[in-house]
Amino acid sequence: MSIPNNNLQSPVEKIKKESHGLRGNIVPAVKEPITGSVPEDVVQLVKFHGMYLQDDRDRREVRAEKKLERLYSFMIRLRLPGGVLTPDQWLALHHIAGEHSTGVIKITTRQTVQLHGVYKSHVKPTLQAFNAAKLDSIATCGDINRNVTAAAHPVASPLHEKIHGYADKISTMLMPKTRAYYEIWLDEEKLGERISEEDPLYQERYLPRKFKIGIGIPPNNDVDVLTNDLGLIAIIENNELKGFNIAVGGGLSATHGNEQTYPRLASVLGYVSVENGDENFMKAIYEVLTVQRDFGYRGDRKLARVKYTIDRLGVDGYREELEKRTGFKLEPAKPFQFTERKDWYGWNKNHKGLWYYTAFVENGRITDDVQSATKSALYLIAQTGKAMFRFTGNQNITVGDVLESDKAEINAILEKFNVTNLTDNASAIRRNSIACVAFNTCPLALAEAQRYLPTLITKLEPVLAKYNLADDEIIIRMTGCPNGCGRSPAAEIGLVGTSYGHYNLHIGGDRIGTRLNTKVADSLNEEQILNHLDGLFASYSTGKHEGETLGDFANRTLSNVPVS
Amino acid sequence: MLAEAQMNLINELVQKHTKEELIWISGYLAGLANSNAALPAINGNNHAITNTANKVSSPAAAKTITLLYGTETGNAKRAAATAANKIKQHGQRVKLVSADQYKFHDLPKENNLLVIISTQGDGDPPIAAQKFYDHLHATSDKLNDTSYAVLALGSSSYPQFCKTGIEVDEQLNRLGGKRILPVLKCDEDFENEADEWLNNVLQKLTQAPTPPIVATPVTPAAKPAEKGKKYFNGIVVTNINLNDEGSSKETHHIEFTLNDELDYKPGDAAGVIPENQEETVHKILNLASVTGQETVDYKTESYLIYNLLKKKVNIRNLSERLVKKYAVLVGQEIPDTRMDFYDLLRIYPVKNSEQFIAAIQLLDPIAPRLYSISSSPAAHSGELHLTVVTDTFLKNGEKEFGLGSFYLNHLPVDTQLQMFLHRQKHFHLPPDDKDLIMIGPGTGLAPLRSFIAERDALGTSGRNWLFFGEQHFNTDFLYQTEIQGWKETGVLNKVSLAFSRDQAEKIYVQHRMQEEAAELWDWINNGAYIAICGAKNPMSKDVETVLIDVISKHGNLSHEAATAYLAQLSKDGRYSKDVW
Ligand code: SRM
Ligand SMILES: Cc1cc2nc3c(=O)[nH]c(=O)nc-3n(C[C@H](O)[C@H](O)[C@H](O)COP(=O)(O)OP(=O)(O)OC[C@H]3O[C@@H](n4cnc5c(N)ncnc54)[C@H](O)[C@@H]3O)c2cc1C
Ligand SMILES: Cc1cc2nc3c(=O)[nH]c(=O)nc-3n(C[C@H](O)[C@H](O)[C@H](O)COP(=O)(O)O)c2cc1C
Ligand code: SF4
Repeated sequence: MSIPNNNLQSPVEKIKKESHGLRGNIVPAVKEPITGSVPEDVVQLVKFHGMYLQDDRDRREVRAEKKLERLYSFMIRLRLPGGVLTPDQWLALHHIAGEHSTGVIKITTRQTVQLHGVYKSHVKPTLQAFNAAKLDSIATCGDINRNVTAAAHPVASPLHEKIHGYADKISTMLMPKTRAYYEIWLDEEKLGERISEEDPLYQERYLPRKFKIGIGIPPNNDVDVLTNDLGLIAIIENNELKGFNIAVGGGLSATHGNEQTYPRLASVLGYVSVENGDENFMKAIYEVLTVQRDFGYRGDRKLARVKYTIDRLGVDGYREELEKRTGFKLEPAKPFQFTERKDWYGWNKNHKGLWYYTAFVENGRITDDVQSATKSALYLIAQTGKAMFRFTGNQNITVGDVLESDKAEINAILEKFNVTNLTDNASAIRRNSIACVAFNTCPLALAEAQRYLPTLITKLEPVLAKYNLADDEIIIRMTGCPNGCGRSPAAEIGLVGTSYGHYNLHIGGDRIGTRLNTKVADSLNEEQILNHLDGLFASYSTGKHEGETLGDFANRTLSNVPVS
Repeated sequence: MLAEAQMNLINELVQKHTKEELIWISGYLAGLANSNAALPAINGNNHAITNTANKVSSPAAAKTITLLYGTETGNAKRAAATAANKIKQHGQRVKLVSADQYKFHDLPKENNLLVIISTQGDGDPPIAAQKFYDHLHATSDKLNDTSYAVLALGSSSYPQFCKTGIEVDEQLNRLGGKRILPVLKCDEDFENEADEWLNNVLQKLTQAPTPPIVATPVTPAAKPAEKGKKYFNGIVVTNINLNDEGSSKETHHIEFTLNDELDYKPGDAAGVIPENQEETVHKILNLASVTGQETVDYKTESYLIYNLLKKKVNIRNLSERLVKKYAVLVGQEIPDTRMDFYDLLRIYPVKNSEQFIAAIQLLDPIAPRLYSISSSPAAHSGELHLTVVTDTFLKNGEKEFGLGSFYLNHLPVDTQLQMFLHRQKHFHLPPDDKDLIMIGPGTGLAPLRSFIAERDALGTSGRNWLFFGEQHFNTDFLYQTEIQGWKETGVLNKVSLAFSRDQAEKIYVQHRMQEEAAELWDWINNGAYIAICGAKNPMSKDVETVLIDVISKHGNLSHEAATAYLAQLSKDGRYSKDVW
């Protein structure tokens, strides 16, 4: 890769610098009544406040004919380190979703929730309502540290609570210093004449691009820890948290036809102990960001992620720069082993005797539909006040921290609204599937994803049954474009949209998220996808080694797979 | 008539003043005499009382004439005001009064009564004249000492041409009044005819030939009144619903291409005679057991029954008058109420097909509907656009649709439609360099779109400010992308929007006007023109109230003075309304 010219600055750089601490023209733009949209500079700035400008893509043509502008609205994403809500917060979220958005509560692949369809005039009331419930959307988008994810399920380890707690601690450390969010949306009074506040971490330029942190607890890799810019792998010995391996440079996006872009898993730089306090650990995290801030490429946003920085500096180069800044050396990485990447569906008990029910939520869309009234069930559970709400990185939800004595009551609600039924009856492949949002809201979607994958799976189920593979926990993921929001590059079967109704087929990723998949076919339509996979399942069912996963089989036999 | 002392005073006055001053004084006094209150002069603005008189005649010969007008859109009022001035110039005393202000106990005392009244709706009196009209028909007053004449305003495109005026004339006669002249029915171009009518009235009243009144002679027949309607054909090329799904409105943008160049001005309207709905016609034919292919005479022509019912006669919401006639025809008791023809036939059936034919011969022709033209001659040459909201109403709990609007909004592309041009002289664009404040919620936007597009195409220099409102921003912002374009390019200097149902409290255009009061006054005080268009009730009333408030508050005027200020703007052609 060529060394980029560092004098080059993408247009977003200018917008950030001139924004007076992410304020810019947000206030007048939100007030302007002639349009439901906001100008481009404001689009970029409100991202830092947790919002994306979108429009209903299903309605573009019709509205143009009606001389109406696009049906603009905002998607608001909550900052929820580790993805936990109290019952009261759930009730608030439920009402806010109903009053200000489409009503669907959408669990994301990064353990938080999004509301779609918030019209401009509703943005401020929505954020104020969230604030009343002690929730915010600060820095869930934009060139800044995003929502920090952490292994979701407390049964992962008796140390789960301690490790999971770092999500919040890290998130807080990496928050921007500007008060813009509070001033603009929550009517906090401006402090004196000062127009922007010192921010030693982000300065006025913020990061060159988004930055993601995930915390994993081996042996389950439910957070896909290596797909993050910064992956933190908990090292536990003798039931004690010793420290973390630090992995840098994960990122899954590519651009069709742009050879310079590629998905990449994070490289483990080394280990930091937390046995004698976590100052060094926190410092290391902080400085991973400052290295990216100072060395990340700002000329082309497609080449600005940490994964390109680290490939430019080299893994050793990045580590050296990091150590220069922290003032201490990383220890050599500790061995760790992932064996699975899954959600613990159904009821599970942790070491303290508390109960957790993980429900299957297809593509993270919490709503009431013909299959189950998940939204109503969760609302009633929240009303009991007897369960916490935890999101998983696979777009599912766990109602948890339930006392033994309350379990029956919670279970009855889950049964009554068909949530248990849905979870129990979903096929193995369906329960291990992820699809990104794509149409009708994602402006970057080339093809359907969450609206289509369920149908495709229904067509794949009989094919799997034909080869006796119905119980195989194959990980299939679909994204509407190669940005990889549904982490399709890190799946055993990845389907990546190329144009409406067409997908590239990627296979051969491993089940545990430590090897990316490989593209084997371009722009398939549904029939071609089914044919390809029928062939793959057939040869897998006869040719697999003992215990070999589909991903491993496909990877081993890749050269035999016909490439179209 | 005057005591000697008073006469001396007047003589003194006459000696002290120049001829010009005397003329002014006489006008002033006449004004005082007929309005009880002088029009206030307004600070900083040159709205002094205007000089109206140029001939002083001997008071002794003067007659007192009561000039009563009934108006909906202001034509009758304008005609009456013009006439009142002339009467004064002629040396007679005149009492100008609007029908809704008229004291009924004055009626038997009237010696000379002139009535100028228009016809509205489906042959109905203007709302403001309804009480007067009812009183006239209910009273037992004897008008034996009253000489009267009626000038009926109307439009020959309506089947009940000048009906109200005709009825008022008949009723005054029935009460014993003496006709000075037969009732004069005027079409939309009434100015010259009204002028002539007044000359004739004055001549008859004073039994003397009227001397030429003004130095500049009226130019009679300089431009012969455009008799009859200007009909033209359009072919539908687009007919789309501008409201998005989820809206409670259905507002169509209908584009026609015109075969021939049509000479219209922004602000003009198009008249359409809708057809009845196929289904209703078939239901009627079935009830009457006729095929519809039989011929029948109607007025002076003969038609196939189907064609007559489909295209010619009104079968909906028949007037009480018609229902009564039908009751007589079929010899049944029917309550005094409006009814659909189909319901009449269903509930009070005809005996046989002869009676059915007699019944349809009673029916009135379908009344034309007017729609403001929303295209601009300069911007959309060869085309004509209408903006039509489907009228809905509940009948026996069921949702029904207005005939004309439903018909238009369901016209398939390629249909050829005959229309006529309805000029709206009082509602045209101001001179190019004048600022324009446009207030047009709902389909009131139609002619304003024409205004803006025209000013855009011509590159005029006056500033433009649009107030628009509807129910919901997302679904009901009519012509949103066009308005955004005009805002961006600067044709629209300001756009103020009110979406009534996007928040808990209702917000309408007049609320936005209140919020912008200071700047609104600034525009008005700097000579801006004001155009209001759309629903008469309650919109135009509420908007006018707020306008008066704004003028009063920011122009530092009493409520009365502000009202008079607005009236003056109206007189000066700076404040005009196109409301329905
Ligand atoms: C909601 C979510 C997918 C889902 O169905 O759950 C999502 C949805 C969107 N992503 Fe993503 N991304 C989501 C996880 C991811 C992930 C997976 C992850 O982080 O584990 C990735 C791949 C990992 C990575 O970052 O490389 C991802 C890589 C992207 C990219 C590519 C970034 C790049 O490096 O080029 C974009 C496009 C961009 O930023 O320009 C993007 C952009 C978008 C946007 C905001 C489109 C846009 O920029 O306007 C999508 C909004 C769609 C909608 O209507 O909601 N999203 N996005 C996930 C929200 C996570 C969260 O809570 O923060
Ligand atoms: C100068 C001018 C300009 C105009 N410009 C526009 C314009 O730009 N756009 C626009 O949309 N409109 C405009 N209008 C209004 C338009 O002319 C019509 O009045 C309107 O479309 C309703 O007519 P319609 O034939 O659809 O309804 P009609 O059939 O005439 O019904 C009107 C009402 O009569 C009653 N009614 C009718 N039938 C029955 C029945 N069978 N039983 C009981 N009650 C009944 C109902 O209350 C109904 O709402 C304008 C009017 C004027 C005077
Ligand atoms: C909605 C509407 C209905 C009308 N109906 C009739 C009618 O039935 N007969 C008629 O002669 N004129 C009818 N007219 C025409 C008016 O009488 C004519 O425009 C007149 O000049 C209005 O005078 P005004 O402004 O004093 O009310 C109608 C006009 C409108 C706008
Ligand atoms: S992967 Fe592409 S289509 Fe899917 S949500 Fe992300 S950006 Fe949109």
